Amino acid sequence: MRFSVLLVLLFSCFLFSFKGNSVPNCKFKFEHFRSLNKIPEPSDIVYDKESNHFFIVSDHGILFECDLSGNIIRKAPEEGLDFEGVEVKDSFVYVSDETPRKVYKYRKSDLSLVKTYQVSWGGALNRAFESITYNYTKKCFLLVSQEPVSIIEYDDNFKEIERYPFHGVRDMSGARWYKDKLYLLSNKDECIIKCDPATYAPIEYYKINVLNPEGLAFDAFDNVLITSDDLQRLYFFKNLPTITN
Amino acid sequence: MKKLLLLTLAGAISYVSHAQFSEFEGNAGSTFTLSSDNNTLQIGGRTSFFYQYRVMKSYQGESTNEPKLDKDGFQIKDMDLDLLGKTSSKFVYEFHISLVDLATAAATNNTANPANPGIKAGYLMYVGWPVHIKFGYDKLPFSLGSISDVYATPQWSHSNLASGDLFSRRDIGLTLNYETWKSRINAFAGIYSGMGENFYEYGQDNSGSFEYVGRVEFRYPGKMTYHNVDEENSPVPQLRVGINGRYENKTQPTGQPTVLQSYPDEVGPYGIRMIDGKRSIYGGDLTVKYKGLSATFEDEIINMQPVDANDPLFNATPSSFNKGIIMAGGYVAQVMYNSEKIHSTFSVSYEDINVNDLIVGDQQWLNLSYAYKVNSFNSVFKIEYYLPEKEDVNSNPLKYTAQLRVGYQVVF
Repeated sequence: MRFSVLLVLLFSCFLFSFKGNSVPNCKFKFEHFRSLNKIPEPSDIVYDKESNHFFIVSDHGILFECDLSGNIIRKAPEEGLDFEGVEVKDSFVYVSDETPRKVYKYRKSDLSLVKTYQVSWGGALNRAFESITYNYTKKCFLLVSQEPVSIIEYDDNFKEIERYPFHGVRDMSGARWYKDKLYLLSNKDECIIKCDPATYAPIEYYKINVLNPEGLAFDAFDNVLITSDDLQRLYFFKNLPTITN
Repeated sequence: MKKLLLLTLAGAISYVSHAQFSEFEGNAGSTFTLSSDNNTLQIGGRTSFFYQYRVMKSYQGESTNEPKLDKDGFQIKDMDLDLLGKTSSKFVYEFHISLVDLATAAATNNTANPANPGIKAGYLMYVGWPVHIKFGYDKLPFSLGSISDVYATPQWSHSNLASGDLFSRRDIGLTLNYETWKSRINAFAGIYSGMGENFYEYGQDNSGSFEYVGRVEFRYPGKMTYHNVDEENSPVPQLRVGINGRYENKTQPTGQPTVLQSYPDEVGPYGIRMIDGKRSIYGGDLTVKYKGLSATFEDEIINMQPVDANDPLFNATPSSFNKGIIMAGGYVAQVMYNSEKIHSTFSVSYEDINVNDLIVGDQQWLNLSYAYKVNSFNSVFKIEYYLPEKEDVNSNPLKYTAQLRVGYQVVF
């Protein structure tokens, strides 16, 4: 009798567990990768049109400016604890520090620290803000939390405006604004998600073949770049493919 | 062995580390975090309950009047609280307590389960230097099965090999940890009281000697957590090979009572957790993860050299036969498959342990388990079927022939 009840319970679990993915999706494979040997645990990357350089942040709390091959040009003198996100806007570089829940504003010209903002997130110590980007449609900064996944809008002084829980993936590790759309990166589900700029609803999924993807960027030629912090690698992809299904 | 561990300890001073054993670091189930200018504190916990049913040897059925000697019924597995904090001055601290164990210890005057005193971690660690330095009470960097988080598997308990009956799993002491070569090498070295979980009951023993523990892992292509289920559905194969060792000489001073007389709870059910003499344990493990499939294998060998030729561990064998040495140990092999599509993880494990090579018999166990994950292992339904394939009638006589545990676990 007991075994029968258990079997019924087990079967019920299976019945409720299957679900389909109705959002258009496709596979997207990297072309090559380059080791970032001198950047410990690179966690996020952003391309700066003005300098034609990348800014890369490290889990060790360091902001680096690099050339297009990933070679270090300089690094910011002021360090944090656990840098996870980086964004360039106007003449400043914004960096999110996950553990202490802070955002640092650096001057791009000399990488000097201009201001520090405190932001709040009640989730786990090491599952907080994984990336920062700017929404040019809604004119606000976005911080994305790893688990549970949320997209949070902030004004220019990092006062919270709105929170958007995101249920499309199990975790979030990167975010980048590109051609009027928000692109998100999931570590556990290993995919890039193209999202609506206003509602953040998923539009397309791109399944990638990278272990532990952490940072997402688009270069001047619309190529996709992804950092992997555990492997200390920068992965180079071509342009995002057109999804036909 | 002791020299080797000391050399490892000294060598590790010049390097870096990041790894931790915290069961709550990076756990998304822990949703309460407070932050100030200089401090971030995470408050987490875990609670779980199961129903246990045992198929008893002596139970002949309802028609007889024979008493049913099993422990069928509900049990509380976990009721844990954890405080994990980091400061801007790069200190990490953690306090992890089991309220169930504390209550059990208090209600039974610490007799019901002395190896689980209620404190699971209490340490301070400095992470601002290349070598991370931890002082306090925590899991020892020894035995993959002990280090790994069992709550993040379909199983309800650790394997017999790594359950704490053969060697201590936690202790107070100093741990150095270092990672290098893109996190591919991860090394630990430490010195501890050697009293394990019973340090709270006895303090340092009369010998005043320490236990030395070391562990080195090679991981490829990079870091690997101690969550052995491949929930990430690894797109490329991940590998970890670890070797570890520990050594202590707990020979009691002349004129002092023996280890068994002074520290009966610390010697454990087989009398080998601490012995009156030298004991070294060495072994290794292998972990592979790929596309939802994960496999682990661990082997540990215990070498014991009691000072007294009449020590009960020799089982009254002549020294010409036993050469003054008792061997013990065993292996565990486990295969798990995780499918996020059906929110499920399946596990099969098999182990064989021999707790004393001078006493005839060994024990072999088969474990089949399944987890239905509502929200990863933070909200999960688990079923575990435990089958003793071979009973060690001399060292561990059993009253049952199979055990089933069904329950639910929540991490918050």
